[in-house]
Amino acid sequence: MSEQDQIVDTPAQTFLGRIWQALGPTGLPSDDRGRMRMVVDNLVLHLHPTKVPTRTLSWTYTWGLGGLTSLLAVILVLTGIFLQMNYTPSPSQAYLDILSLRTNTWFGDLLRNLHHWSANLLVVTAFLHLLRVFFTGGHRAPRATNWIVGVLMLLLVLAANFTGYLLPWDQLAYWAITVGTSIINYVPIVGGFLNRLLLGGPEVGAPTLLNFYSLHISFIPVTMVMLMSLHFWRVRKDGGLTVPRRAKESEPPKIERVTTIPHLVRRELVFAVAWIAILLAWSMLVPAPLEGIANPDLSPNPAKAPWYFLGLQELLLHFHPLVAAVIIPGLALGALLLLPFYDIQISSVGVYFRSLRGRFLSLLALGTALLITPAWVLLDEYLLDWSAWLASWPSLISNGLVPLAVVVLGLVALDELVKRGLRATQEERILFIFVFLVTALVVLTAIGIFFRGPGMSLYWPWDIPTTHLSL
Amino acid sequence: MKISSRAVEFSIGIFATLMIATGILLYVFQEPGRIAAAQEAQMRTDLDEAMTLYAENCAVCHGIQGEGIGATPALNSEALAQSDYTSLEKIIARGLYGTAMPAWSKEDGGPLSDYQISQMVTLIQYGDWQQVQDRIVNLGLAPRIPFAAEIDPQTLEDVAALPGGDILSQGLQLYAAECVACHGADGSGTALAPAINDPVLREKSADELERILRNGVAGTLMASWDNVLTDDEIIALIELVQRWDEVPAGAIPAPEQPVPVTAESLALGSELYTANCSRCHGPEGQGTPRAPALNVKSFLSETVDAAIQQIVALGVPGSAMPAWGDRLSEAEIMALVGFIRSWEPNAPEVATPARGGGPWWQSSSSAGGQSSAAQGAGRGGGQGGPPWLRSGSNNQAPSLPGGGIPSSGASGQGNNAPGSAAGQTAAQGQAAHQAGGQAAQTASGHQAGAGGGPPWAVAEQPLPWYQQLDWRQAALVGSTAGLSLALMAVGLVGLRRLPQ
Repeated sequence: MSEQDQIVDTPAQTFLGRIWQALGPTGLPSDDRGRMRMVVDNLVLHLHPTKVPTRTLSWTYTWGLGGLTSLLAVILVLTGIFLQMNYTPSPSQAYLDILSLRTNTWFGDLLRNLHHWSANLLVVTAFLHLLRVFFTGGHRAPRATNWIVGVLMLLLVLAANFTGYLLPWDQLAYWAITVGTSIINYVPIVGGFLNRLLLGGPEVGAPTLLNFYSLHISFIPVTMVMLMSLHFWRVRKDGGLTVPRRAKESEPPKIERVTTIPHLVRRELVFAVAWIAILLAWSMLVPAPLEGIANPDLSPNPAKAPWYFLGLQELLLHFHPLVAAVIIPGLALGALLLLPFYDIQISSVGVYFRSLRGRFLSLLALGTALLITPAWVLLDEYLLDWSAWLASWPSLISNGLVPLAVVVLGLVALDELVKRGLRATQEERILFIFVFLVTALVVLTAIGIFFRGPGMSLYWPWDIPTTHLSL
Repeated sequence: MKISSRAVEFSIGIFATLMIATGILLYVFQEPGRIAAAQEAQMRTDLDEAMTLYAENCAVCHGIQGEGIGATPALNSEALAQSDYTSLEKIIARGLYGTAMPAWSKEDGGPLSDYQISQMVTLIQYGDWQQVQDRIVNLGLAPRIPFAAEIDPQTLEDVAALPGGDILSQGLQLYAAECVACHGADGSGTALAPAINDPVLREKSADELERILRNGVAGTLMASWDNVLTDDEIIALIELVQRWDEVPAGAIPAPEQPVPVTAESLALGSELYTANCSRCHGPEGQGTPRAPALNVKSFLSETVDAAIQQIVALGVPGSAMPAWGDRLSEAEIMALVGFIRSWEPNAPEVATPARGGGPWWQSSSSAGGQSSAAQGAGRGGGQGGPPWLRSGSNNQAPSLPGGGIPSSGASGQGNNAPGSAAGQTAAQGQAAHQAGGQAAQTASGHQAGAGGGPPWAVAEQPLPWYQQLDWRQAALVGSTAGLSLALMAVGLVGLRRLPQ
């Protein structure tokens, strides 16, 4: 056996030495074999293989997005525990507790800011991680299961953020959740029931706060930890990360590997420390928003859902609610979950955007969506009036299915154009439509955040007045 | 692939660690300061919101400076500020048994949440009552009616002389002392309480009225009066409610105290005056041929604020003075009244209306004839007298009341009163003003009507769209369109160059 084993087997001579031997590291091993052994023997490091392909260490391949997302989850759990100690989930106390974090608690403000900003960044990094995996083909066989787990986790992230949004019980929270949950009502047949179940009553109130709090601190984090374990485990089982390839390489390169310690672990540590520094600095300087106490009689105008749902809220302004709130998100989610089963070409896995052609095609899709989406919003806002033109039809058809058909036909036409005009392959067409739709979602969300003012009318971002509606 | 970034990564790691360490250290040192600042900011927010709540809910009984009115205790006392949080909080939340203080907590049917009640306690403990008064004035919530009114002895005698009048007169006195604040001088109700001069209420049995008076009405500001009033007094009040019709109109006089002002309300009043009033009443209130002067001693000293307020809100029927009540808020009208009142110390005895060259807003030649008429009136040569007084009165004796304005507080007649809370004095002011309006019309002749329409009717000309466009809009639209076109171009060119 190696030197390493002998060191472990020999008991230390002193009292402190024996404690150190039991709890601390037995020195950094000096040879690769010892380093690999250390990875296997350590609970946390054991998430990693003992050796990793050199190429997957590249910063510009993964961008560390999965790692950052995990780091944020850890920060959220830790800060969340301390916030929980200072919080009572009741309408009469919740807001006062948040105020008291500011005015009576050492580091209370910092913890809340850290939690708030990490939570919002988590939505962004989880989404970007999904994009990265898609663009490098990481969803394709054999990683299909893990893709589905990942999409479910993205939904959980949104649920965690949404339930947490209500907890400060300020005007922002109250009305964003009122608007956000009202979207559930549009689910046919069971919508009203689901909404009441979630709210614990006809409107946002004390039972809602308790429901959201319970979900936020127990069900969602526990499920998240389980899915995270599954996600990490499947990464190992599916053969680690996809190995990056250059677009011009015709066949998969020979895989070179280096030991996880120090190459991967060092990078992870540096990356984590750097991001902790950034988050701390940001949270020390930028306070999390907090408005006046929730007032059910005074609605801000416009009342907007949390920012990540504003793309959805924007759709509601253009389509019949059933189409905007159920059919379109349902189709999109279904297409996303089933992606690994129709986008199956494994020869391009590891190449960003499939190929050099794919990169230009993505740029084309990005540009087209950036132009068409705002144009369509403006057109629908000021010119298209389906329910007036098709007045004799039910509004589900005239203002829902008809415009949806127009949009879908537009997408099909675009797809045909790319297929015929540019002779795109199937995976290129999927890439084109994916980039197009993701860009459209981002643009719609941006319009919802920055361009919608009182009465959800279009405004220039710098012209939006602040108004309230007395109920 | 070479892994050469080791040194870079180590430097980043060490730098970030140092940043975290120094960041936390610095944060620890500023944390007590941050907490103190947050507490102070929170106090400011709470006081600010509490002042508005006080204006809306408490000022009518406790006074606009917390000075207490009548039997209502003062809140601006040092002793109260020193008392502990819990006892103050309990009094506000649950009311005070045996007094007119109702329960304010939502749990007890009141309008305030626990949080708002805690803000009210903060106000009592740390508030600045001068600021409270300013807030009330700026919100236009200063009560127009005194909490307790004085009734003219002659009126009381007249009432007592009615059949069964003794008890009615006692009821009227009690009403003036205890009820006017909420139910209004003429019994027509206010924002706080319903009308008393209401046939429906009169239909109710004496038993039911007695129950309301003794027990109060849950969920409203109507407190239990059982411990404040004697049995006789309750009977007198029931009698009054049931026989309200027999009480002469205007028995309880309108308030005479001035509208309170702040620098802010004066500025607002000045702005509103310039925008809405100056065209007819002149930039400095000196009057024009279209409308009487306001900036003269004789008008200002004879017309109490409530009357001016009434005139502005309701207009003067039959004259060019429109009712502004629909266009201006209560607060704005009170700011206007305060502004007009601010002229009084320096107001001339005699109005000197109009500038040299005719009405200032007209520059066309058609104003010529009007101009000379105005000059004539202004210099007091021919017409003489302030224009709101009947023409023909001597300009050498400006204080002589043309329409015979009686001293304020007089009772009796009031048959031309418009039947509102402002009551008698307002009616007199209005009558005098009406006369003035007629005089002005006489002076300026038919041209007054052709003056180009009222100022609020001037339509705004929208700019053509290319003049509305500003650089930010152009930059945003241009950069978005440019970026997307550029991306599409790069994509297409790249695709053309690449083989399938």
